[in-house]
Amino acid sequence: MDRRAFLTAAAAAGLAQVVTPEQAFARAAASQPAWSLAVGDVMGDIPRQSLRRIHGKPPAGLAGTLYRNGPARFRRPGGDATHWFDGDGLVRAFRIGPDDASLEAKFVDTFKRRQDAAARAVITPGFGTLGSDRAVIGSADDTNAANTALLPIGGELLALWEAGSPYSVDPATLETRGLKTFSPELAHMPFLAHPRIEPGGRVWNLGLAGRRAIVWTLAPSGAVERTTLVDLPRASFIHDFTATDRHLVIVLQPLIQDRMVLPFVDAFSWRPEEGTQVLVLDKDDLSRRRLYDLPAFFFFHLGDAWAEADGTVRFDACLDSTPDFAVHGARDILTGKPAPNGVSLAMVALHPDGRAELNRTPLTAEFPRADPRRAGLSRSKTIINSVRTQGRPLLRGVGVSDWRTGKADLFDYGPDHCAEELLFVPRPGDGNELGGWLVGTSLNLKARATELHVFDAAHVSDGPLCSWRAEVGLPVGFHGAWVGG
Amino acid sequence: MFDHTFKTAAVFASLGLVIAVVNARPAPAQEAGAVTVTFSGITRPTGALMVGVYDSEAAFAGGKPVEGFRLTVDGPQANQVITGLKPGSYAIKVFHDVDGDGRMNTNGFGIPTEPYAASNNAPSRMGPPSWADARFEVTAEGAAQTITID
Repeated sequence: MDRRAFLTAAAAAGLAQVVTPEQAFARAAASQPAWSLAVGDVMGDIPRQSLRRIHGKPPAGLAGTLYRNGPARFRRPGGDATHWFDGDGLVRAFRIGPDDASLEAKFVDTFKRRQDAAARAVITPGFGTLGSDRAVIGSADDTNAANTALLPIGGELLALWEAGSPYSVDPATLETRGLKTFSPELAHMPFLAHPRIEPGGRVWNLGLAGRRAIVWTLAPSGAVERTTLVDLPRASFIHDFTATDRHLVIVLQPLIQDRMVLPFVDAFSWRPEEGTQVLVLDKDDLSRRRLYDLPAFFFFHLGDAWAEADGTVRFDACLDSTPDFAVHGARDILTGKPAPNGVSLAMVALHPDGRAELNRTPLTAEFPRADPRRAGLSRSKTIINSVRTQGRPLLRGVGVSDWRTGKADLFDYGPDHCAEELLFVPRPGDGNELGGWLVGTSLNLKARATELHVFDAAHVSDGPLCSWRAEVGLPVGFHGAWVGG
Repeated sequence: MFDHTFKTAAVFASLGLVIAVVNARPAPAQEAGAVTVTFSGITRPTGALMVGVYDSEAAFAGGKPVEGFRLTVDGPQANQVITGLKPGSYAIKVFHDVDGDGRMNTNGFGIPTEPYAASNNAPSRMGPPSWADARFEVTAEGAAQTITID
């Protein structure tokens, strides 16, 4: 409505006090919390732009690209996505060179995005979005938002979702090449967004269909080495799993799929009385398995696991006491409602005698990452997002928690920031655990701009060594990958 | 999607398997006109189209076709003229047996990995196309269908 029409309408309605459009927009904006920018819409691709250095200088030897993925378009004129996990995947490339840094972002050109765009409404069902029966869905890949993570492999950047195939993206141009089909008989098989990568480059991943899973093994080249179908003891919600050098560790939380309804998340029941199970499979023989019992908890993300000499398997996890955030909170945040969660760091130990231990800590933690050179091997350090603001769903700090010392080295970006995942980048010639840098982004709500930060991994609390700021504020994303050089 | 893999696995599996190639039936007393079917959009010129013609919702959902054809694929398009049908409602389903093994291939979770389609280009909505979307009338003048597959 233009200004004149608005005023005319207001007059016709006989309003005692005329509200100007400026006032109306200001009131509408004020009704949304500042953090709503974190779940805002990006209307189109972002051409490559230079980032402005706002602090420090980049460390010598750091060069490469931080690729990140996350939902970035939720709303369309005829109807919106109603869950955070159902926005269209936007692949961002933060390229760091010796003298400058840049940002470029392109949406993954999915069938879902095309279908929703053509309908001018989000009609495609998703994790928590009901969608419409107008949507054409021949397989889960027709609902694939390709919005969760990225796997660089074999010269491709695979944009990962959870219940369908990866989408192949050109790492140089970010153009979508199409749905990745490893072989004809593997078309549309699900491929989780959290593959586990051995230090030598072999990739392990799962895909789920209720109580059945496909176990993927990819060579470092990206070629499929093997796929195996395995049965699971329950139809648990599985977003992530973990692995040691010898085992796959599948945590089966008591959020259990027991009905056939849409959207996906509504097909699950929370049954805490049934506890959490942990299934450990031998990588060399997937029929060799052990099952452990733990108290009930909800989780999205696990840290890398390792096996000790006596056979004890250890891994850390970011736990919550209930699935409320997944079911409700991640819906609410799209409408600006606070979405509390209590996610914190815990360590699990699976002992050779069959006992399982869960040791919770009070440390707020999400998006756990570790030194990829030690994936599956003994380690003590976990990279996390941390620092909670009351009444806000997203964290505002980052850090490294050390299991050996029990200490956390944290940096608080401050109340104006929403933190995003940090990744480790080795310093050339430094083989120590986390000997190098942490690279990650934040959304500066006050500046309404996305920032890129580099930390010394050994001194996170000192703050970034270098920060850059983009001209745009992109919504908060999920997971990324670093490609050096 | 996800949970629907269970449902679709079973239904999709039947989609391909029930399309048996049957012999043409004797011409009924009162014949409808010819049904001209054009299959277009074929991207892989190998194998064959396996076509089933159904005369009821129950049959379409997993019963026997009244007619069945195997059309060798050698280009982007294939055609079939169907005669001898009685006037009434029909629906067609077709899958492209790309590797020519005579069955609709599925992945490990039962989801089709070979292209399929139905008359009226009826869409899949969390499962195979529905009779309601795919049905068309065959009259004394016959009927025409152009079905895009692949």
